[in-house]
Amino acid sequence: MLARNVIVRSLILIVLAGYTAFAAGPFVWVAIMSLRTTTEISDNPYGLPFPAHWWKYPEAWFNSNYEIYFLNSVLITTGAVLLLSVMGAMAAHCLARYKFRGNRLIFFLIFSTIILPPQITIIGIFQILVNYGLYDTRVGLMLVYVAMQMPLTVFILEGFFARLPQDLFDAARMDGYSDFEIFWKITLPIGLPAISTTVILNMIYIWNEFLFAVVLLVDDGKRTLPLGIQRFMGDNLDDTGMLATGLMIAVIPVIVAYVFFSERMIQGMTAGAVK
Amino acid sequence: MTFLLPAFIFYLLFTAYPIIKTFYNSVHLIQPNASDEFVGLSYYFDILFDDRIFSNALVNTFIWATAAPIIDVALGLILATALYSKIPFARFFRLAWFTPVLISYVVVGVIWMWIYNYDWGVVNTLLRTVGLDAWTEVWLGNPSTALWSLILVDAWKWVGFHMVVCLAALHSLPSEVIEAAELDNCGWFDKLVYIKIPMLKTTLVNLLILAFIGKMKIFDLVWIMTKGGPLWSTETLATYTYKRAFQWDTFNLGYPSAIAVVSFGIVLVLVLSMSWLSRSRERLEY
Repeated sequence: MLARNVIVRSLILIVLAGYTAFAAGPFVWVAIMSLRTTTEISDNPYGLPFPAHWWKYPEAWFNSNYEIYFLNSVLITTGAVLLLSVMGAMAAHCLARYKFRGNRLIFFLIFSTIILPPQITIIGIFQILVNYGLYDTRVGLMLVYVAMQMPLTVFILEGFFARLPQDLFDAARMDGYSDFEIFWKITLPIGLPAISTTVILNMIYIWNEFLFAVVLLVDDGKRTLPLGIQRFMGDNLDDTGMLATGLMIAVIPVIVAYVFFSERMIQGMTAGAVK
Repeated sequence: MTFLLPAFIFYLLFTAYPIIKTFYNSVHLIQPNASDEFVGLSYYFDILFDDRIFSNALVNTFIWATAAPIIDVALGLILATALYSKIPFARFFRLAWFTPVLISYVVVGVIWMWIYNYDWGVVNTLLRTVGLDAWTEVWLGNPSTALWSLILVDAWKWVGFHMVVCLAALHSLPSEVIEAAELDNCGWFDKLVYIKIPMLKTTLVNLLILAFIGKMKIFDLVWIMTKGGPLWSTETLATYTYKRAFQWDTFNLGYPSAIAVVSFGIVLVLVLSMSWLSRSRERLEY
């Protein structure tokens, strides 16, 4: 019985290790290729990176506007996440705390936008941004991202805020807190864990977003990282080695963040699905 | 009430108004530097009865949105069950499997184009190594394999996500039930089918519906890897709308808007009927 158990367990372990190779293998392969030149790769695509060509990293970084793409992504993501957190928390606080007519209707409207396919808004958004002179601007794209992620943010935060004990708010009102103070001094500090969850979720979605960026940005100086990679890919299509380096530059920040904040990132990404 | 205002303004400006605009577009000829011309429902008739590319895109999207969630959730559940049974290195496995979820589709797309490369890609190299040269394939260039090749990449990206959610749900189950089953000498498979799946039913149904909604939106991966080709075999509703609106120089935003409205209607009907069919009285959790 015990021997059989050991065999079964090692079988499971082998299968799981196999799946791990499937899940992580592609990254390892690209990481190795990023340190090899294209000539080395075409000789043997699966060789090891000896000698390691570290110079390819500065080369890829400086010859392809990566610093601009990076900066654009950072600016747009930070701005959108800030706006989302403040406005989303305010809206969620309102929906969770105040009973008024149409409360549930608004909640339903916000929620139903989650299922919308992006095509239904993107053509209209394109026209509107052109009309307002926000087409091909970073601000325009940032505002669109805020609108895009707002429903999910409010949905997650409302679920959390609604579970805070009402007594807390009644007591605060008794002490003479104004509506704004209640939000600022009670809901926000207590809701911080939930808010940080939505921050992580929104950061990753916006950092990786591609469709709206490709439609709404044209100018090379305004491109975000995913668009930059796409351009880099177009320029280096046959230069596998350099392209691998470019991909790694885009992947490394996410992986580094994941190493430090893995549990929080997993929790953030799945926040919408588990409550 | 004022707390709601900023978010609501955003909603009106960048969600509600564009949707109304899209509906308006869909019955007009919209051209730059010309006034809009009313064309009635003619685009809708064209789309539904004449547009072969649209019907192709619809079928592809539907196959994708049906097959991928089932693969994702099934694999995710199996992996979660394995981790649940106190396997060593469980934490490491969990972290490693989740990584693809965080990586942008653009990066994922390029990596998998290499994996599917005919001459030196991993798939064909593996097949040649085990002597199955006849099975090698131009995976993304052959209309009959391209769609499934993409669906596999999509599954690769999302299985980890479903595994984490299933694992969390498994841990929240009352352990007495599972221990009782173990005392009754209930096998691994029976335990999964007769105990865990029924108890996780709500979570699994929600995950399926959620994945379905997500896959109906699929754009990035297709755009990076195949641009809808070859021969429209990987065209999806989103890529086709994008092409008609911003790529083909037809200078008419009316027709793609009508495509968007039709796809919206289809998604809405499917999602509503799915949540109705699942008959779970709890509200859909997203």
